[in-house]
Amino acid sequence: MSSSIAKNLGLRLLYALLSLLFISFITFVADEISPGDQATILAGEKATPEAVIRLREQLGLNRPWGVRYVEYLGGLSRGNLGNSFHGTREPVVDIVKRTLPMTITVATCAILLAAIVGILLGTIAAVSQNRLGDRTILIVSTLGVTIPNFVLAPVFVKIFAVNMDILPSGWSNQLAGPVWMYLLMPVVILAARPMAQITRLCRASMIETLQQEFIKLARAKGVPPIRLTLRHALRNAILPVVTAIGTNFGFLLTGSFIIETAFRLPGIGATAIEAIKKGDTPVIQATVLIAGTLFVLINLLVDLIQPTLDPRIREAQV
Amino acid sequence: MSYLILLLLFAIFGPTMRHDYLNPVASPLQPPSAANWFGTDEQGRDVFARVAYGARMSIIVGFSVQLIALTLGTLVGVIGVFGKRWFRDPLMRLTDGMFAFPDILLAILIIGVWSTGLVPVIVALSITVWPGVARLVKTQVATLKDREFVVSARALGMPTRLVVTRHVLPHLTGILLAVSMVDLAGTILAESALSFLGIGVTPPTPSWGSMINDARAYINTQPLLLVWPCAILSLTIFALNFVGDGLRAATDPRNR
Repeated sequence: MSSSIAKNLGLRLLYALLSLLFISFITFVADEISPGDQATILAGEKATPEAVIRLREQLGLNRPWGVRYVEYLGGLSRGNLGNSFHGTREPVVDIVKRTLPMTITVATCAILLAAIVGILLGTIAAVSQNRLGDRTILIVSTLGVTIPNFVLAPVFVKIFAVNMDILPSGWSNQLAGPVWMYLLMPVVILAARPMAQITRLCRASMIETLQQEFIKLARAKGVPPIRLTLRHALRNAILPVVTAIGTNFGFLLTGSFIIETAFRLPGIGATAIEAIKKGDTPVIQATVLIAGTLFVLINLLVDLIQPTLDPRIREAQV
Repeated sequence: MSYLILLLLFAIFGPTMRHDYLNPVASPLQPPSAANWFGTDEQGRDVFARVAYGARMSIIVGFSVQLIALTLGTLVGVIGVFGKRWFRDPLMRLTDGMFAFPDILLAILIIGVWSTGLVPVIVALSITVWPGVARLVKTQVATLKDREFVVSARALGMPTRLVVTRHVLPHLTGILLAVSMVDLAGTILAESALSFLGIGVTPPTPSWGSMINDARAYINTQPLLLVWPCAILSLTIFALNFVGDGLRAATDPRNR
């Protein structure tokens, strides 16, 4: 039994590793096909063609791409992401170290909020199926899936920052109040879509579970309703919800591109957009690489957690 | 459905019907009036004409992306079932690999190293959409491949190319139509998101996303500027999802 679990684990790890390699290859190729290479940009606009060629040789850019890809991978494994093209030519690793914690904080808070509220609302809706509470929750969650977060953001700013004046409208370098006040709106808006999805999924899964025989038996045996819902039904219904939480978390990391721009948060998403506008290729590559890597790792984590939650999957793997 | 037809008419006739969408026609930040139905923006341009032109941009991007992604995805999906092994397997691994990228991250990378503008946006979004189509077509074609009418057509010596175009693909039109309707909503949303981030269609060409972004600066003085593109974008996404879900339910073989 243990060997087959190990084999399955190995396959999953191998698949994740291949995905990471693929992402790194794509980010590498993206630089290759982009118009203008490092040498032309570093040499400046006034440089003669000869100077550009000399610089290209110095940087080793005239070698075959295969060699440079291996070198790029080697650099990645040592945590070397290259230097920014602009300003003080800051190492990209430092930029990532400075901005990534913000993105991860916001995304983690958002997914926790989405998971807790989503499961709660989904359960309530399922228990009161087709009654007023259920209908309201369904309509609100449909809106949550439909309305894009870059529409929600200005609407929230209008209501809470402009009209009610209780929350700041965006990040600033001198914070006039506790940090959570600045993060509250971004987190809630980022959480809206996954929250709505988790609610709908949890509702559907719970309704299906509640119709099964063992629930009827438990009810007949006189298990109290709350205990029946939480211990008997929810434990069985939660598995697809956990998968959804995982995939949503991955999407939140890219969703942060929009939220960070909208609220001027100094995170990795806003940095990436700035880099695109300035044509700062190493920073673009690094941000895509990191967001992609986190996405793969989170999906791997979900794959690994599932068997521990559901004995049936554990059995199926034997 | 009627909303979508209205939107299409709006996109075709709206920009020409009223005012110039690029140049000022009145004083800036005016409320709606008989001359400017939706008011004017910060440069005095007619918002109605701009929203209508934004609709046109959304539809151009949405349909081009769907067309490219459907063609490419269907081709890859069919090759994934009928293709020669040495060609098929690497291609399907590539398709699987594309799923390692979340959401619009790949589109952002492509635009980032290439350029902003209409064509890069269409190409970048097409590249993110086709793997989903390919996977869907592959599973559908794989089940069709073993059905009697396909098996007998091949047994009679019909060339694979003809079997695919005459017997297999006609069965996919319904489900592909439904899926592309929902995908269309996603594409329009993604285009707006890119424009909102300032890396989509190049200004001053209006797009709903960039209009929402620009309007944020005037949220105190003229909140209506924000309301129009937000409302129309949300309605469009909702309508496309609604119709797409309906179509899917109607074309799903399990419901027959």
